[in-house]
Amino acid sequence: MAVITTAAPAAARARPGRPRRPRYGDLRTALIFLIPATIGFVTFYLVPAVRGAWFSLTDYSVLAPPRFVGLDNYERLVQDPLFWNAMGVTAYYVVMNIGLQTVLAIAIAVLMQRLTRSAFVRGVVLLPYFVANVVVALVWFFMLDFQMGIVNVLLERVGLDPQAFFGDPALALPTIALINVWRHMGYTALLIFAGLQMIDQQVYEAAELDGAGPLRQFWSVTLPLLRPVLALVLVVTVTGSFQIFDTVAVTSAGGPVDATRVIYLYIYQLAFGQLDFGYASALSVVLFLVLLGVALLQLRLTRASESDTN
Amino acid sequence: MSTTIVPATPPATPPAEVPRPAGAPEKGSRRPRWGTVLGWATMIVILLITLFPFYWMLRTAFSTNSELAAQAANLAPAGFTLDAFRRVFGLTTLEESLAQGGAGGRINFWLYLRNSVIMSTAITLGQVFFSAMAAYAFARLRWPGRNAVFAVFLSALMVPGIFTAIPNFVLIKELGLLNTFPGLVLPTFFMTPFAIFFLRQFFLGIPHEIEEAAMIDGASRGRTFLRIILPMSAAPITTLAVLTYIQAWNEYFWPLLVGQSDGVRVLTVALGIFRSQTPQGSPDWAGLMAATLVAALPIVLLFVVLGRRIVNSIGFSGIK
Amino acid sequence: MTTMTSSSRTSTTGRAVAALAAAAVALGAAGCASTSQAATDGTVTLTYWMWDANQVPGYQKCAADFEAANPGVRVNIEQYGWDDYWTQLTARMVAESAPDVFVDHSQQFGKFAELDQILDVSDRVAASGIDLSQYQDGLVDLWRGQDGGLYGLPKDWDTVGLYYNADMLADAGYTQDDLWELEWNPADGGTFEEFVAHMSVDSNGVRGDEPGFDKDNVEVYGLGYNESGGGYGQVQWASFALSNGWTYSDRNPWPTEFRYDEPALVETIGWWRSLVDKGYMPPLAVATSGVGSQEALGAGAYASLIEGSWNARSISELGGADFQVAPTPVGPSGERGTVFNGLSDAIYAGTPHPDEAWAWVEYLASPDCQLRVAEEARVFPAVKEASDRAVAAFQEIGVDADAFSVHVTDGTTTPSPVTDRWAELQTIMQPTMDSVLSFQSDPESLAPANRRVNELLAE
Repeated sequence: MAVITTAAPAAARARPGRPRRPRYGDLRTALIFLIPATIGFVTFYLVPAVRGAWFSLTDYSVLAPPRFVGLDNYERLVQDPLFWNAMGVTAYYVVMNIGLQTVLAIAIAVLMQRLTRSAFVRGVVLLPYFVANVVVALVWFFMLDFQMGIVNVLLERVGLDPQAFFGDPALALPTIALINVWRHMGYTALLIFAGLQMIDQQVYEAAELDGAGPLRQFWSVTLPLLRPVLALVLVVTVTGSFQIFDTVAVTSAGGPVDATRVIYLYIYQLAFGQLDFGYASALSVVLFLVLLGVALLQLRLTRASESDTN
Repeated sequence: MSTTIVPATPPATPPAEVPRPAGAPEKGSRRPRWGTVLGWATMIVILLITLFPFYWMLRTAFSTNSELAAQAANLAPAGFTLDAFRRVFGLTTLEESLAQGGAGGRINFWLYLRNSVIMSTAITLGQVFFSAMAAYAFARLRWPGRNAVFAVFLSALMVPGIFTAIPNFVLIKELGLLNTFPGLVLPTFFMTPFAIFFLRQFFLGIPHEIEEAAMIDGASRGRTFLRIILPMSAAPITTLAVLTYIQAWNEYFWPLLVGQSDGVRVLTVALGIFRSQTPQGSPDWAGLMAATLVAALPIVLLFVVLGRRIVNSIGFSGIK
Repeated sequence: MTTMTSSSRTSTTGRAVAALAAAAVALGAAGCASTSQAATDGTVTLTYWMWDANQVPGYQKCAADFEAANPGVRVNIEQYGWDDYWTQLTARMVAESAPDVFVDHSQQFGKFAELDQILDVSDRVAASGIDLSQYQDGLVDLWRGQDGGLYGLPKDWDTVGLYYNADMLADAGYTQDDLWELEWNPADGGTFEEFVAHMSVDSNGVRGDEPGFDKDNVEVYGLGYNESGGGYGQVQWASFALSNGWTYSDRNPWPTEFRYDEPALVETIGWWRSLVDKGYMPPLAVATSGVGSQEALGAGAYASLIEGSWNARSISELGGADFQVAPTPVGPSGERGTVFNGLSDAIYAGTPHPDEAWAWVEYLASPDCQLRVAEEARVFPAVKEASDRAVAAFQEIGVDADAFSVHVTDGTTTPSPVTDRWAELQTIMQPTMDSVLSFQSDPESLAPANRRVNELLAE
């Protein structure tokens, strides 16, 4: 992946003139160091994933032996309007969730860096992350209730109409995206803050000498230099965002009119509701491939843009 | 590009308090005040939005369930009572809980708290240490196929969890580890793709000279890793450990499947009884909020105690 | 873990690995690691799962009696919330460690029976000489598999009723007896619609049947609901449709065709959603954007609400007002209507103790246990005499349980449709009904949805 390939030459450049080791020099050590992680990887990721890939070629109810059906599940998937709807809904969710979350996180990180080094502020910002996903969803569900939710009570007090946050097909998905922005923006901000700390202040000073104002500094210094951090943050958050499930499951449960039936919820319903593990596995395989593609694309884009900053 | 950034703050020096380089305070005084004011205003709005739901949880936790609907607009607790907390701590009988609009079920709070601590600690220790080993191999050792193998490990990040839950559950069952701590811990004990990714990015930035000096003194790779790399990386490792701990602490689905017996039931699972008991039923709101606050309290305390250290270390977790 | 010890020779790292692994194992030993069900002294411990915490106390009493009568058998009741119950049950079945006996739902048992996960008890019923006529009519058939087997014994039944805010009722000039006389029809809504119109109040205090009623600013909706109900509508539209002469399917259990396209349903849905248009019922978006319809009733946003008998106790205990219940209205068929559903106790096919499990199920289904459960005033047990006892127990705590039992007495119940394709059916019907109720499509769109449902069943 791009991060890997960029990092390696970078490391090489950092130690010029060092004597070259034999080609396989570290192989034995590396293998030993990788033993525990490999046990974990093979046992709890690789084997189940390969088994899942096999199940995607079968008709499998989990409670009876799988029956090989070739590519039937994939053919069904292509013609399944619910699948396409779920992919569309998920993509829409990811765009809203990641877009807003990243912008806010950058804003918070920059504000924290400029305004205060207070541990209290950073602690508060991270606070929502201490609460489990499901509970966060339930708390907001409670607060956004149409009749008795405090948010609507407050809206009415300032003279606005109460909103059916989870019931209106146009609002439900954005609402869920916002809830998850609330939980993750502080966490993301801290990761980005970490990146900001690493930017050499001399760069800013140079920019200031050139007469760049704060906005201009942000666009032409901060943001480009943040790109490597953003690469890691984005790969991790986008991958997580595609797997949105808990929040939907405990609030809108896919409705209204399938407006929030995200792909992960659909897979879950197929697997545990309908015991259709074969088809659910096929959807999982497709989701995996999509995530892989998106990650590669992200890394390529972040790398492509690296050149203009160097 | 990464080379331009990394040397700026050599991660090799993790002092508790970093002397601020030419920093914001002076800048603020040089620039018009309104910019700072605007910045603080924005910050305060963000903090309020962050904190308000916590206030609402607190308010609801001190309320009486049957009064919540009727006093929806009351900013103070609706029918102030400590009953929800009594339910969380298992101080009520089943009949009392039901009468208060809660669910039944015995809650042996301190036992479940202990279990959560054991599970989260074990996961954190194992995952961080083993992931650090792997990250070391990916960042500091040179061997053929390194990047390819790393890419394969990283792709585990994209494997949907739902895909692996059932096979893993069956495996744990076949190993006879249902209702044991190893059963709870094993799937995330050896690695997570995120942990390896995170630490690798950091290890890449450690200057080679330091390591090499140790090697010349005859230290083995293992020794170098334990005596040089790990201590030097205290800050990002603490960061990762905290994030891992929070994650493990909040885990619900896996412990729900694997750890049901009292001896291993963790807080999140035990407190799951505050969620809906019947189809289309509603949760015991007061109990749920009280449970959430109580369950989050230990890690918040941990955060406060380690406070500055963690926050600063987060600021230091070098990402290239 | 054993694979890891091989690395312990290599280095410091190896030793550290081994130490951590050992620590993990030691931690495991600290927890009680036993899932085995037969203890050394020959005692058999049965695991019994249920989801409704409210019912645990009653069944604990049954378990105590059962253990006293069966020395050597212990019953361990475990309860999980509805949201986790079925997922966990499935995982346990996959791992072949499901509970010996568990509470089953009529919409779930079909697939378990089909996949041989639960036992056909018909032979045991015959051998024990259980009189199946002791249960309310229609309940036993809910648990018949496609093969004719009996996959559980009925434990309770439920119907639905019209809950209302008695304080608002008094203000509006209705008496509680009036509500027993309400009638509806799809043409003008009848006295029932007059009732919900009169109970609706806008923000200016104007009632729904008065001139100038502002349907866009409604303070109190005459009738609430929680969602569209999909293809089931148990606490939404089913009572109306069933009293309009409609039935779900060609036969039950195991229908071959559903009837969502029939005019009796289409006109019912058309009238039902017209209440939204008139401002007597909240728009779907509002109804589904809340934590629950019971809370809305409690908050005074709804004057009345159709809900299940299983919630009778919790609604009566809502704060803020006096809440009472009346039967659902009489429809064009001249009768009332309600879905008749219930729960059963099923025996896991993989139980190592089928005989003890059966003894427990037999006891659960006996008048002895069900009379005990009746005393708790939470549900209506399946055994007829226990049903009567439960009605009395409900009356004692101030709930007019006749509102539910009148359906049983009058024979106006329709058993819940039983099919193993229920989850798939709902993925078609839920969005369809949502869409109709939110005025995105017409009630006539039920016909194409019905075709898809029947294609599904024909597969």
